[in-house]
Amino acid sequence: MSKADTSKNNAFLIDMTKCTGCRGCQVACKQWNQLEAEETEFFSGEGYQNPPAMSEYTFTRIKFRDYQKNGQNEFAFYKEMCMHCNEPACASVCPVGAFEKTAEGPVIYKAERCIGCRFCMIACPFGVPKYEWSKGLPLVKKCTGCYSRIKEGLQPACATACAMAIGYGPRDEMIKLAEQRLARYPDRYINKVYGKEEAGGTSVIYLTSLPFDELGFKAVTLRPLPGYTWQALRLVPGVFLSVGGGLSAFSWITHRRDRLKNEKQAELAEQGSVPSKEEQE
Amino acid sequence: MTAARRITNEVKSFHPFIKLLMLLVGVGVVASLLRFVYGLGATTNLNDTYPWGLWISFDVVTAVPLAAGAFTLGAIVHCFGIKKLEPLVRPAIVTGFLGYSLVSIGLLLDLGQPQRGWHVFRYWNVHSPMFEVSMCVAAYTTVLFLEFLSPVCEKFGLHLPLRLLRWIEMPLVVAAAAISTLHQSTLGTFFLIAVDKLHNLWYNPLLPLLFWISAICTGMCIIIIEASACHKWMGQPNEGTLLRTLAKIMPWTLGLYIFVRLFSLFALSDGPFFDRPVLTLLFFIELGFGFILPFFMFAQKSIRKNDRRRVIAACLVVFGLVLNRFNVSMFGMMDPNQIYYPSLIETLVTIGIIAGHILFFVLIARYFPIFEHHPETVDYSLPDQFRKIDSGEKSLETGTFPEGETVTGAR
Ligand code: SF4
Ligand code: SF4
Repeated sequence: MSKADTSKNNAFLIDMTKCTGCRGCQVACKQWNQLEAEETEFFSGEGYQNPPAMSEYTFTRIKFRDYQKNGQNEFAFYKEMCMHCNEPACASVCPVGAFEKTAEGPVIYKAERCIGCRFCMIACPFGVPKYEWSKGLPLVKKCTGCYSRIKEGLQPACATACAMAIGYGPRDEMIKLAEQRLARYPDRYINKVYGKEEAGGTSVIYLTSLPFDELGFKAVTLRPLPGYTWQALRLVPGVFLSVGGGLSAFSWITHRRDRLKNEKQAELAEQGSVPSKEEQE
Repeated sequence: MTAARRITNEVKSFHPFIKLLMLLVGVGVVASLLRFVYGLGATTNLNDTYPWGLWISFDVVTAVPLAAGAFTLGAIVHCFGIKKLEPLVRPAIVTGFLGYSLVSIGLLLDLGQPQRGWHVFRYWNVHSPMFEVSMCVAAYTTVLFLEFLSPVCEKFGLHLPLRLLRWIEMPLVVAAAAISTLHQSTLGTFFLIAVDKLHNLWYNPLLPLLFWISAICTGMCIIIIEASACHKWMGQPNEGTLLRTLAKIMPWTLGLYIFVRLFSLFALSDGPFFDRPVLTLLFFIELGFGFILPFFMFAQKSIRKNDRRRVIAACLVVFGLVLNRFNVSMFGMMDPNQIYYPSLIETLVTIGIIAGHILFFVLIARYFPIFEHHPETVDYSLPDQFRKIDSGEKSLETGTFPEGETVTGAR
């Protein structure tokens, strides 16, 4: 969890009004990450999208939705991927710290640490980490934010492949750009920058013309998720010490009381008044 | 007679129920081997929507509070000085030790990379509830193991370790209670991260506290059930009077639980609460039959005194706890369009684990002195008094214990 300044992190600005649904990003992602193809069928899932969901083989995909506009059928698209949260839930719950929010922006996964408990999958508010269910000793798979490319000064594979809908650059500039577009074309967009505050802010930012929930965006809290568990976990040392200390004190008192009683009885016994041993116990 | 022959004869003499348990354990072992051969995806109904299933819900989240009797009773007897409950402590410790060992096994089965389980101790992440629970379970299993060593040493007449164990008894009891408080509650913290996933009826910031209080309630109820079962089926003396004392504590803890539960629901949670009929029903069954009804039962003297009704009330609490843990970790997180139910292999493994618990308990009770431990025969002054060790050394030379600390039950 980094409380560090995230404004200079790299972020994606995904403008869904400019997306034509060509799925070039999906293909580029598969190629760069050497991911296997999935066997799919037409009309799987809720819309026309294929594969039906993100998986161990698919780190990003275009989700389709058809809707009616002026009596005409229209398509809406939404690029689903890891949001590279500023304060990622996946990183906070992982017992071995396998996830890390890098200074460059991407949240990366250190496979050699992972023990496979799948807590990250429970925790991620966007349902991003996927598991290698086909394997005997499975690992977690998710979008890498093309960390290896970023470090070499390249752009992520999907942003390179996309002609116009995916922008990539420092987060504060991307947010400014998004707000400029909203101000200039208020009738073209829903007035919201998704990702600016969701889950405490993410490094993937969306603009759309359709309501976000209709597109299939999850409703998420605006509070950074790690805080939800930390508010309880931070009490751990205190609780440990007070329970331990309290009980020690208590037992010291009870034992002392017993001992005093025993000693008194022993004294009496010496004087010959209470000889029986049983009564001392 | 060779050792093998003797073992076969011994096994043959077992009650058919024990043989059935052995069979179930065997089936469970085979099923868990299949999980490693064919992988999690093929053998379980887990998937990307339900990364956690029966094994986490039962073998970990439910089994841990069910094994809470050991620390609760330890604290009641040794810290709060209600010494007459002492005879119940050892069976509780054995149950706890078995419970936690099986929790560890369940956890390892569920991990995708069990061979890396030790990574938890190498790469610390103090922000992770899972890290906290793993550390505590490891520490507490060790504590329980040490406590469990006492009857073992008595059985084999090892006096020196016994003396040592006596000496660390109190620190162990305190450590047990402190560690348990942490991980029982942290199991609740697990689900605090599932904001917007866990249903509002169960999601609230006091989840850790609720998990802890309900674990204490259940720990005591398990002791009531266990002692009654041992009386009924294993020919142990009726501990009715002791259980009555324990039952007297129940209305207080249950009342506290119900109070905190309702407070957190009304004051700290946001609606909508009753938007899904099935969950509403589960909620009312859980709270009504699992906590409120037994609260009123335990509050009545006539029920506390009646062996049968007392056990029924205790069973209700256990039922309420199990349902509560499943509601939190499974039902309350379910997506109504895609229901999870455990696969055959998952079920067989869990049944094997439950059967294993009962089996090992019965076997340990058969071969080790866990019931023959009554306050009349225990010298309580030993742990905190160095000067008594003089007589202990004498006893080492002569091979007998000073009177008052009779270990003869073991022989
Ligand atoms: S979207 Fe999920 S997987 Fe990606 S960084 Fe955020 S919490 Fe982690
Ligand atoms: S599955 Fe791996 S990466 Fe995810 S929380 Fe567990 S150890 Fe961490």
